[in-house]
Amino acid sequence: MRIIPALIGSLPRPLGLAKKIELYNIGRLSEEKLEEKYREYTRRAFEKLREAGVKVVTDGMYRWDDIFNPLIRYIDGVEVNGLFKFYENNFFYRSPVIKDEVSLLDNPIPKWVNIAKEILEEVYPEATLKAVLPGPVTLAYHSLNEYYESLEALARDYAERVLAPLIKELEVEIVELQEPALASELSRATREDEVHISKEIARVVIEELGKLRKLWVVTYFGTPQVVPKGVILNVDLVEGSLPEGVSGEVGLGVINARETKMERTDRIRDRLLKLSGNFSRIYVTPNTLLDFLPESVAWRKLRLLGRLGGE
Amino acid sequence: MELPILPTSVIGSYPKPRWLLRQYKLYELGKISEEDFKEAVRDASIAVLREHERARIDIPWDGEMGRSEMTEYFTAKIHGFRFYGPIRVWGNFYFNKASAVSKLEYREPLVLDEFRFVQSVTTKEIVKVPITGPYTLADWSFNEYYDTKEDFAMDLAKILNKEFKLLEEEGAKFIQIDEPAILNHPDEVEWAVDVVNRAVKGLKIKVSMHVCYSNYYLLADYFDDLKVTQFALEFANRNFRDMDFLKKLTYQELGFGVVDVHNPRIESPEEVARAIRKVFKYIEPERLYINPDCGLKLLSRDIAYRKLVNMVKGVEIVRKELEREEKTSIPFRTLRDI
Repeated sequence: MRIIPALIGSLPRPLGLAKKIELYNIGRLSEEKLEEKYREYTRRAFEKLREAGVKVVTDGMYRWDDIFNPLIRYIDGVEVNGLFKFYENNFFYRSPVIKDEVSLLDNPIPKWVNIAKEILEEVYPEATLKAVLPGPVTLAYHSLNEYYESLEALARDYAERVLAPLIKELEVEIVELQEPALASELSRATREDEVHISKEIARVVIEELGKLRKLWVVTYFGTPQVVPKGVILNVDLVEGSLPEGVSGEVGLGVINARETKMERTDRIRDRLLKLSGNFSRIYVTPNTLLDFLPESVAWRKLRLLGRLGGE
Repeated sequence: MELPILPTSVIGSYPKPRWLLRQYKLYELGKISEEDFKEAVRDASIAVLREHERARIDIPWDGEMGRSEMTEYFTAKIHGFRFYGPIRVWGNFYFNKASAVSKLEYREPLVLDEFRFVQSVTTKEIVKVPITGPYTLADWSFNEYYDTKEDFAMDLAKILNKEFKLLEEEGAKFIQIDEPAILNHPDEVEWAVDVVNRAVKGLKIKVSMHVCYSNYYLLADYFDDLKVTQFALEFANRNFRDMDFLKKLTYQELGFGVVDVHNPRIESPEEVARAIRKVFKYIEPERLYINPDCGLKLLSRDIAYRKLVNMVKGVEIVRKELEREEKTSIPFRTLRDI
């Protein structure tokens, strides 16, 4: 059985890139120059991922402020609201406010994915690139719904009217859906919320999207309560556990992306050995977004992750 | 001691003058001496304090001119932390998140010099000393040393308690404990309340607790358990919606946030007045202080100042209305009074 190191979601946005984005935001850097910087930093990230031995990668989401932005700026029917805590972290996202029926607008995301793909082909052709999008369930839970009669109806429309057309445009084999809401209900830390999406609806909307492209469904901050079929489910083994019913290929979040303390590879290997009989292939990953770590520690942890790869 | 009804205050941070930011950079690069850097910080403190006073803020502070950031400033002074590099909070805003790598020790005062200086140059009788609280310091740090987060936070509470007592001895009348993270982990709030109470143990002055961008319904369950005089909360960011949790605030004061610190649009005095009238449904004017939602440091200095000016103008509109009911002043309440 093979163990393959993989990245999920974002890398910490390098400080130098953040400064360039800020310069662009205040009109002191042109769009062309900023684009050059995005490409330069993406190239550097791919080179470092190659050196670390991480075989399945994302573009590090350098163009994204959080897992929802800027996608929600390209959805008709959505206004972008104030800041909310992303689960229990000192990390904030801008939430979508649903004012009307949602539908996807023209957006640059497919182009960004193609740019990343081109760079990867030059720098690290043997790696697999995933495109990353927020999942419909997590998007719905993090929205302020002022239009739909239920959160379930919103999740369905996010899937059918926003994510499905977007996924069709993405020229990648695998699309990663960020779906922490499958494992961790919107925390009371964020807001009081008694509206829920049933597990059955959550499963169905994701499985429907899975018919369009191979999906890698990333869950974290708990144990997944929903196990969609026909997808690679990524499970956070630091703050959750494997649910029943997962088989075939699986992603296991074995590196703690919320603590600087380094893991011991021998302990992780022992743990993987116990699980290895259950799956055809294991992708080892950080347990959540690496945005929660200082850049230097995140890369140290990715190098550790790379050492876990092999038969 | 009496204050005008609806006393106005700030939460803490304020945009640093550009010239001060340059001094920070030069100091970081070793191009100016510590003495010159400290002089620049003191000059900026006076400038900001005067700015707050010109805006007619009743209880000012110096905008934390000497603090690089609200957790880093403290963790850098407490022995037992180390830094690996900045992490992002949102957009392109970062902070240096420390890691606790050994037992934490209080080796030097944290804000005593800052308080002494502000006290010596202000024209106001009371200033508010904002200090990041023990739970938030623990939650916004990595832990490589303590067995439990509770042990980690409790050690920080004991350290802060020493600092608070020093401040009280030196004449500080009003401390604000900044605890924006206290509701981050709902299952930890119960012991987090004990941690805050440990930090204020033995104090007799006024203590406010600032919490922002959180679920206040969760906080409301603990209003009565927290040994503080006031809660300074954010409301403009949520457009003054959903304030029913305030029904549980039965005897402590509310620091009512009426200025959105993430939006450059300047609230009009009438908007501020409308918001204050709205909160009267829950809290009587005698228990209300008025402040921005949070620290103003992310705004431009000009906008931050104009927001404060309009905030005070809005308060003055309502004060005139209250004057007709002969409500013009309130006593300055401390922990002795609750």
